[in-house]
Amino acid sequence: MAQSAEEMHEQPLLAGDAVRVETDGGAKLVGIVCGDCEAKVFPPVPVCPECMSENVSEIELSDQGSLYTWSVVHVAPKNWKVPYTAGYVDLPEGVRVFAHIVGADSDKLEMDMPMFLTTAVLGQDEAGPVESYAFTPVAK
Amino acid sequence: MREVSVIGVGMVPFAKYREKTLAEIGWPAVKAAIEDAGVEKRDIEAAYCGSALGGMMSGQRVLKQLGITGLPITNVENACSSSSSAFRQAYIAVAAGVYDMVLVLGVEKLTKFGGGTLPLEKEDFEVTHGLVMPALYGMRARRYMHDYGLTKEQLAQVAVKAHKHGAKNEDAQYRNEVTVEEVMEAREIAEPFTLLHCCPSGDGAAAVVIASAEKARQYTTKPVRVACSEVNSGKYVTGFRDMTTPEITVRGAKQAYEEAHIGPEDVDVAEVHDAFTIAELLYYEALGFCNKGDAAKLLEDGETSIGGRIPVNPSGGLLSKGHPIGATGAAQIVEVVRQLRGQAGNRQVDGAKVALTHCTGGGISGFDHGACSIHMFSV
Repeated sequence: MAQSAEEMHEQPLLAGDAVRVETDGGAKLVGIVCGDCEAKVFPPVPVCPECMSENVSEIELSDQGSLYTWSVVHVAPKNWKVPYTAGYVDLPEGVRVFAHIVGADSDKLEMDMPMFLTTAVLGQDEAGPVESYAFTPVAK
Repeated sequence: MREVSVIGVGMVPFAKYREKTLAEIGWPAVKAAIEDAGVEKRDIEAAYCGSALGGMMSGQRVLKQLGITGLPITNVENACSSSSSAFRQAYIAVAAGVYDMVLVLGVEKLTKFGGGTLPLEKEDFEVTHGLVMPALYGMRARRYMHDYGLTKEQLAQVAVKAHKHGAKNEDAQYRNEVTVEEVMEAREIAEPFTLLHCCPSGDGAAAVVIASAEKARQYTTKPVRVACSEVNSGKYVTGFRDMTTPEITVRGAKQAYEEAHIGPEDVDVAEVHDAFTIAELLYYEALGFCNKGDAAKLLEDGETSIGGRIPVNPSGGLLSKGHPIGATGAAQIVEVVRQLRGQAGNRQVDGAKVALTHCTGGGISGFDHGACSIHMFSV
């Protein structure tokens, strides 16, 4: 029998409201769309930064985007597992998402390459493993 | 608005003062600035203190050491732009005629954090996901290298130039020259940066006394005029932004040049916010010293070295002089005032009449930078 989403992820994902765990354990990024000016924002916020409207509703964002830039980080606060690759992924909704890039050697990464949403354990804190959304290159 | 002049400057060498308190680090800079101005402490009508991580009442803690108390002291936090923003507040107060003479102080003790990357605000979403300042600048560098063909060797040249200048500055934290090979082979921090691409962590303080031009003439025959004073916040962008263009600096520079009636071609010397090597190149372009994509050539041609067309960071900049963040803006002003007075010793930019300081910072999601301050000075 398949594990429930809760069993697959020991702790809640770090991103809180910004990520929704599916019944199969997969993840969806969550943002908002403004009901008045149609601005899209990630992570979710209660008020639109464009027009100050509070008429905002949650939307699921695309699983796929393109890698705008990245850096392999060797020095970071101690809860992170170094080295890690951090980058910005541009989604078709016009939203840029900061994310860990996993599942590929950094020398295999290319500017603007397609990326796909996943989840990964990124570090460790007092409560246990730190897990969140991440992006990984789309298999060629 | 009245004309405002700088009449006194002072700083303590940037270094690691682990055994000293913030107050102990700060007071010698203030005393030096007051003595340099040739004024009495009772002449100071108000004080503005910039510190990003100094904690509550940084200004009062420093100034009580010298008995400069009972006056209005305002503490200003604006990340790396803290003391340049404090200078802006002081400038407005004097220009508006509220005070005739005001003290500006910048002070920071980063060694209290024990090393590593600068602690950032944990409420910020990207910070909770592992954003650190070297990574943010590293991502800018990566995109710039891709878009404009910048090489790692060219990037390393920024650090080589910084240390060449800093070696001549007795207030610099690092006074050793470095080679391209040493920069490239240092330990990795956030690719494409090694340690020598990154400003060091450290402590320090700098102070400036400003006065109305009329008041200044009572104390000096060579006041340094404040030609413009500008502070901006970044524009929050939820979508895509071009990380090779520091929009806050582009916007601020335009305003500063308009206010000063001075163009980039008129600037004789500049201190810019080279927190990481890529930053200095981005700011050559943003400040109009060269066209977009030409920054590496400007550096390679020696135009931004002492003796070149527009020497940048003769002090050694953040990379070599150091970057106790809240003190940096005031320290940049100390350097350019010394340059404009002809007091910069063996790093003097000959005949400097117009100077620019640029201080920006703050890693927050959705901003190029949180704050940016640009000042210009002339004699």
